Amino acid sequence: MSDIVDIINGKGRFIDDISFPDMVHIAFVRSNYSRAKILHVNGGYLAKDFPYFMASAGEGATDEEMSLRAPVLASTYAAYLGEPIAVVTGKNRYEAEDNLEGVEVDYDPLNPILDPEEAINSDPVIPGVRSNVISDRFVGRPFSITDADLVLEDRLENRRVATNPIETRGVVAAYDGSKLTVWTPTQSAHSVRDGICESMNLPKESVRVIQTDTGGAFGLKGGVYPEYIVASTLAMKLKRPVKWIETRREHLMASRPGRGVVGRMKIYAMKTGLIRGISGDIIVDAGAYGGASWSSGWIAYQVTGPYAIKEAYFHARSVMTNKVDQGPYRGAGRPEASFLMERMIDLLCDETGIDALDLRLLNSAKDRFKSPTGMEIEPSAGFISRAFEKMGYRQLARTDRPGISAFVLIPAVADGESCRIRVKNGRISVWLGGVTHGQRHDLWVKSLLSEKLGIDPSIVTLELGDTDMLREGVGTWGSRSAIVGANALLKVAAKIMESVRKKTGSYSGKNLLAGDYDEYEYANEKGSLISFGANLALADSDDLGNVKIRTMKAYYDVGKALAPQVVISQIRGGAVQGAGQVLSENLEYDRDGQLMAATLSDSGVLNSVQAPDIEAFYEENPSRFPHGAKGLGESPTIGVPTALVRAIERSAGIRIRKTPVTPENIVSAKLGKTE
Amino acid sequence: MKKVKVELKLNGKQFKTEVEARTLLVDLVRELADQTATHIGCDTSNCGACTVLLDGRPVKSCTVLAAQAGGRDVKTLEGLSEDPLMKKLKDQFLDKHGLQCGFCTSGMLISSYSLLRKKQKPDELEIRESLSGNICRCTGYGGIVDAIKSVQPGIEKERVAPAPEIQRN
Ligand code: FES
Ligand code: FES
Repeated sequence: MSDIVDIINGKGRFIDDISFPDMVHIAFVRSNYSRAKILHVNGGYLAKDFPYFMASAGEGATDEEMSLRAPVLASTYAAYLGEPIAVVTGKNRYEAEDNLEGVEVDYDPLNPILDPEEAINSDPVIPGVRSNVISDRFVGRPFSITDADLVLEDRLENRRVATNPIETRGVVAAYDGSKLTVWTPTQSAHSVRDGICESMNLPKESVRVIQTDTGGAFGLKGGVYPEYIVASTLAMKLKRPVKWIETRREHLMASRPGRGVVGRMKIYAMKTGLIRGISGDIIVDAGAYGGASWSSGWIAYQVTGPYAIKEAYFHARSVMTNKVDQGPYRGAGRPEASFLMERMIDLLCDETGIDALDLRLLNSAKDRFKSPTGMEIEPSAGFISRAFEKMGYRQLARTDRPGISAFVLIPAVADGESCRIRVKNGRISVWLGGVTHGQRHDLWVKSLLSEKLGIDPSIVTLELGDTDMLREGVGTWGSRSAIVGANALLKVAAKIMESVRKKTGSYSGKNLLAGDYDEYEYANEKGSLISFGANLALADSDDLGNVKIRTMKAYYDVGKALAPQVVISQIRGGAVQGAGQVLSENLEYDRDGQLMAATLSDSGVLNSVQAPDIEAFYEENPSRFPHGAKGLGESPTIGVPTALVRAIERSAGIRIRKTPVTPENIVSAKLGKTE
Repeated sequence: MKKVKVELKLNGKQFKTEVEARTLLVDLVRELADQTATHIGCDTSNCGACTVLLDGRPVKSCTVLAAQAGGRDVKTLEGLSEDPLMKKLKDQFLDKHGLQCGFCTSGMLISSYSLLRKKQKPDELEIRESLSGNICRCTGYGGIVDAIKSVQPGIEKERVAPAPEIQRN
């Protein structure tokens, strides 16, 4: 990322700022239907010009044999609204869009299958598959509890939401006869490179991916997309640079959204509030080619959260529907899991009349605990007490109706991360596999290096992702980058110090800067690193179902705050995304498979008047890593929705089973209508 | 496609060009004048990333035809780089983490700048209302609101004359 001062002065280089004199702009003809046979298509570049299948790359890339291989362009069958069918070119965006008119597509529309529960037993959403269930697993351990005082059941749901970074997707590809260079805003230059190479069957040395300043990502910009393969192929074919910038409408239709989960949950509990067991049927709306098919099992794995629940067993399925593939969105399974657990805990509070905090404390882990799904957690009781003490829950609960939540955050530390440090002409350049795009990695890179190497932080530059400058790399997602990135950084720094010692006899910052050094390391990482978080919310709702959020608070264990201001800024930003999911964010289709959201506001993103602020607290219990940090980025999107839903539920006097909680939902629930 | 001549004042300098009649102001600014601080975040005049000053008033430059700006005064973030109020605002945005990815920032700065020119010490609600046409997906707005609140009023009090209505054709 460009220096923050350049960014604020408007000198950032975002993807749409990359331009070449002879550049070709492309635009896509996309399916007007959620499900249709394509009888005939004429004009533009077509599927035959891109004889590849999309590789799975980036966050949650899967090798599962059940995962489907999506074509780059649809040829005889459109499986979702917005699926690309043809490509046209132009000398600028206007001309490319004009040329869309020159492409004719004849469709035979079919009835779209949009509901994942229905899709389990319906005919296939795409031809050639036997079942729409693309991932089908049992997670945990079967159990039978016959003497529970209470057995409570409910159907819970998070509708799909768009990731909606303000900079949409985009790509520029150029080919010089031997090397393909691809510029794109991304969470991982290496994932994009690997995805392009695998899809197009190119050797890694022949493709260079360069990250441009990245205008938000939230899970969206971790992998490779059909449009990137199209731009790359055309750049090679036309021998001219090719540019594609997604429109917001395209984003809402054809960029992978997150959430989209239904859980039919059941808990077994005693009158004392003790939860003996939890089971459930978890169904993920995976979309037409079964994207992120792993997510149902991943959600099931972590449902029990910070609680020591001895029995747990889930049927986890990812189901294909006639919608764009689901993908990771800030939290990626963690918020969904927590929603399923916390909603059931709140139901138990209502059934038993036990206070929300008492019930959570009773079920929290007093010692290290391994859940039946294999998730290991540290004792959580102490954290939960401290969190709600700090957020003033007991006082508030006496006079008001706070909603609260507690959760675990499992960052995606697996596979570690890479780092390269180059010292040259008295300056230090750093490359990380987990690139920065607003998280201000530069701050902790500078502070950790200046501390470790004894140098002035101002001589350190964190470079943008570039596969030619860094051999391998993973990416920025799953609240991982500070943890594994800082770990790799410190390892490479130690290597550099060793080289300085060898060369000059002793280490000092001065000796370092007097020479040239270049070190790389891929710091692998096994095992996990779990932290806890808690939230509180107060809200009012009126007879028309309008919700007013009065207070939101957060208390998270961040291990060590590598940059305290960034911690707060991340929490505030994530909290508004969490609140957006609760209040309005949604990608709803009508019966015919037409998308009802055409704009940013239709899709429910909160503006400055609607957005609540949050009072953020954190504690520091250093992790096992030398820098002490734990995960953070996704915490607010896990903890905010659950606490807020409970606050709304209490103020409206209804049971909430689904996000978003629209005014219509509230009013109809009040009138006793079932949905 | 019919071409039209457009001459306008862009960031203090006369700028002359010929564009297709349908060309949007934002494309003139970004593509023809190469002033890329102004961003495009949507095609539905929803995000405010493209906000510029037209005769001193904030407008979404994706909703104005380049031709409509003919004869008028357009200022983008680049043109305000020496402006004392804008400098203060930027300092506060940096200090209060009013930006993360920075994509919405130019639009946010222009909208906040216009607000502070109209009112030196706006309250929280006034700030939030005046930013409601600028969407930020990263910061949650809190840092932006804090930044605007922290700007200390100074000498830059001059009033902006109301802009004439844009003619739509
Ligand atoms: S680009 Fe979104 S409002 Fe102009
Ligand atoms: S800082 Fe990223 S959209 Fe506002």
